[in-house]
Amino acid sequence: MLNHFYSLINENNELKKYEINAERTDQNVIHLSGEVDVWQHVIDIGHIAGSIKGIKGVVNHITAQNIKPQKKDNASLISGAKQIGIIDTMDVVIVGAGVIGTGIARELAKYDLKIALIEKNSDISEGTTKANNGMIHSGYDSKTGTLKAEMNVKGNAMYSKWAEELNFPFNRTGSFVAGFSEEDDEYLEMYYERGKANGVPGIEIISAQKAREFEPNLHHTITKLLWTPSAGYVEPYEVTEALAENAVDNGVSIMLSTEVLNIITKENNVQSVVTNKGIIQTSWVINAAGLYADEIAEMVGDCFYTIHPRRGTLVLFDKSNKGIIERFIGTPPKNFTKGGGPMQTPEGNPIWGPSAIEVPDKENVDVDQQDLDFIINKSAHLVEGISRQSVITFFSGLRACTYTEDFIIEASEKVKGFIHVSGIQSPGLASAPAIAQRVENIFIELNPSTGKKENFNPIREKPIHFRECTFKEKDELIKKDPKYAHVICRCETITEAEIIRAIRGKIPARTLDAVKRRTRAGMGRCQGGFCGPRVVEIISRELGIDPTEVTLKGNTSNVLISHSRK
Amino acid sequence: MKKLNIDLIIIGGGPAGMAAATQANDNGLEKVLIIERDCELGGILQQCIHDGFGLISFKERLTGGQYAQRYINQVEAKGIQVKLNTMVLEITSDKKVYAVNEEDGLLEISAKAIILAMGCRERTRAQVFINGARPAGVFTAGAVQRYINMEGFLPGKKAVILGSGDIGLIMARRMTLEGIKVEGVYEIMKTEGGLTRNIEQCLNDYGIVLNLSTTITKIHGNKRVEGVTVSQVDASMKPIEGTDRYIECDMVVLSVGLIPENELSKNVGIELDSLTKGPIVDENMMTSIPGVFAAGNVVAVFDLVDYVSQTGVIAAKGAMKYINGTLDLTNTYISVNSGENVSVLIPQKIRKSNLDNKQDFFLRVREENEKMKLETEWSDKLVQAGKFSMVKPPEMIHITLGEKELAQFTDEDICFHMRKES
Repeated sequence: MLNHFYSLINENNELKKYEINAERTDQNVIHLSGEVDVWQHVIDIGHIAGSIKGIKGVVNHITAQNIKPQKKDNASLISGAKQIGIIDTMDVVIVGAGVIGTGIARELAKYDLKIALIEKNSDISEGTTKANNGMIHSGYDSKTGTLKAEMNVKGNAMYSKWAEELNFPFNRTGSFVAGFSEEDDEYLEMYYERGKANGVPGIEIISAQKAREFEPNLHHTITKLLWTPSAGYVEPYEVTEALAENAVDNGVSIMLSTEVLNIITKENNVQSVVTNKGIIQTSWVINAAGLYADEIAEMVGDCFYTIHPRRGTLVLFDKSNKGIIERFIGTPPKNFTKGGGPMQTPEGNPIWGPSAIEVPDKENVDVDQQDLDFIINKSAHLVEGISRQSVITFFSGLRACTYTEDFIIEASEKVKGFIHVSGIQSPGLASAPAIAQRVENIFIELNPSTGKKENFNPIREKPIHFRECTFKEKDELIKKDPKYAHVICRCETITEAEIIRAIRGKIPARTLDAVKRRTRAGMGRCQGGFCGPRVVEIISRELGIDPTEVTLKGNTSNVLISHSRK
Repeated sequence: MKKLNIDLIIIGGGPAGMAAATQANDNGLEKVLIIERDCELGGILQQCIHDGFGLISFKERLTGGQYAQRYINQVEAKGIQVKLNTMVLEITSDKKVYAVNEEDGLLEISAKAIILAMGCRERTRAQVFINGARPAGVFTAGAVQRYINMEGFLPGKKAVILGSGDIGLIMARRMTLEGIKVEGVYEIMKTEGGLTRNIEQCLNDYGIVLNLSTTITKIHGNKRVEGVTVSQVDASMKPIEGTDRYIECDMVVLSVGLIPENELSKNVGIELDSLTKGPIVDENMMTSIPGVFAAGNVVAVFDLVDYVSQTGVIAAKGAMKYINGTLDLTNTYISVNSGENVSVLIPQKIRKSNLDNKQDFFLRVREENEKMKLETEWSDKLVQAGKFSMVKPPEMIHITLGEKELAQFTDEDICFHMRKES
């Protein structure tokens, strides 16, 4: 196995010069160490190890010159937590309140379990989830036989029920892969065959003429398309909010700004979780920590994968472009090496991207010119009629990838009471319902006596959006609560009543970004230029804090520095 | 739903809206209503505590608030109806306005004429494609102005200003006076974006450096701004390699232009000018929908509030004629075109039959130059309309053509040229 790895490295002209040390554990995990020149080589070597048949995972400790490894010392925080002592006792602690963690929390809330969902950031969706384009992939893209492919197709099908029960917007309008020439046909065929094998419903190859009947602004150079009608579109943070609200309704405790510092095991059994808020006793930990899943797994001594962040940038356009293109348009890989393409959010904003670039830093969500150029150039070859001038914002997120590039959803082989839900990269959002169900099955198989709650309520009521109401409904809302007449965000028509509701909500929105995700205030074309100061004022008033304490996205991201007059 | 009937609805209670309302009242129109979304009249003037307003109209240097107050006093004295804290949600082509406020709930107001006076908004960082991180501490200049002047907060300690538009220049001085260190103003263009007097009074007087042909290429810091990278740019405004340098700061202030706020106009189908981003207007500031007029910065960004008020007056006079049925709505328009070294030009079209004894034109040049003359061209005629010792893109030019010139117009399109005096 290792010989094979070394021979693959030696066959590679760029990599053969390095002295790489590879070790194989009895679990068939490859551990890599050494030093290389650039970060991309760390990734390439990791991927070579990850491609070897029969390995369980790759732990990659190779460093690149000029890139300092990020290790932080939790010792003082841990001793602080010990001083606070035990704050609660739970049956299950889920680490990470992205769409995966909240999905699992809501699934397990069906049972008689005391569940805590803990999140180090100041809000749910603050990690990978918030920067996802919201596509619910149909499932032609993942290699047949992978867990990704299975979870994707299953999860996609389950979205209708999620949307119905949880009342979030979901457009199942389908997606394309565009072909421009005969050369592309073989790729379309390959996707078609793979889609068939993966069980993608309704997949077919259609002519551009037929596609233009329902998607008229496809680029005129497109000749043929792969069509998968099951693909859909959501706002990822709305899905997560809906899941989290429903989980809370069914008894889950959500603890924000709560960071896991350590996990205590005794004789290979999970005992407790040490957090900055104190110690939570629990016999089960579910690791849905995204980019930090490897660090959480390390805490129980069962880390068999390294997470490497793959950054994706998205470009969002004004919703005055609504309807120009409604469906995602991908391309065969030969045209553009990276993924992504144009699509439209349920709200009607065109969203283009994402790009894909490996970055060493788990907090690096910069937007670089090369990403922007790539995304805009690529999508401009796929859709006509959307001007670069109508871009309202752009942002990046990080995919939590392992070197085996597949999902890892399994109970620990080493430690009782620990479930890995790791490497959930694209199509993680599409797979989320299936992942939640798989974790449920794993948990119940290991805890067969778990009883079901009698009063589980799967329904989350649809929140009121003033902008979507008829004139008559608006009039009635204002009569009930005059704050509906006070429009704070004029680009998106978001009222003070909605902002107050978000701040006082089941998962209280305490930051500008949290209010934005709950209500859309600040998401429009002026990007909070007008409503920002007003939202700061409302947050400060509702939470009873000074305006200088209001943050954009949690700790140290304060909007204002000081009072100018005392 | 509460229903009202009004002669003239003015959307926006800033300088354009108030000038229009008082003019309409002076002309004897009784049922005039100003709808304002804020809690007081005055619009953005209320946060402009610097002086220099009203030099043309009042021959005085007033602060924004003082200028506004002169009109507020008139609005009150004349008993003009005002609805504050009221947000217009929609207007229709048959001139119904839907608005909400706490007292009335939803209002359906039918009007004989409408004047749009919604003003403009600031361009954001995405519209000028600034890369990097997305921390707290990136503000538009107007937001900083509001925080400091209206709410009494300092949004940072050390600021870098991008763009040399007037609000950015005004805020460079204002922040300095409040103890915020201004690390410099960076302008991607090779010439400054604001009025010369503001460069003098707000930067030079305070020793703040204006760096032309330089832009921010990256914002650093994940939670709060920690610094920016700036680079010089070449003639095509692309960053020049090797010229980048890092500047430590905790705040980025954007003064990168204003855009007329025309969502209501777009939704009702009013034709917009791709250059001004505002409605295409005629000699009476009437838009493509008969009876719907526009005034002030919703039409195009004027540099001086005096011009904004003037367009309000023109629109109100036009609306009066429309209501009285004395406006010609049938004759073909003559188009008014930008020629040599002219960019923005208002109005974009005129009906000769509606011209009074004088007609105002507002225009901007494309390039700075000295000793220039403005020429009006139509058919084979070339008539000089004004002389200028200096013209600059940031400084709007206002000219009035009198009876004599207007009488010469034929049915041919008109073109304005700004040419060197020979």
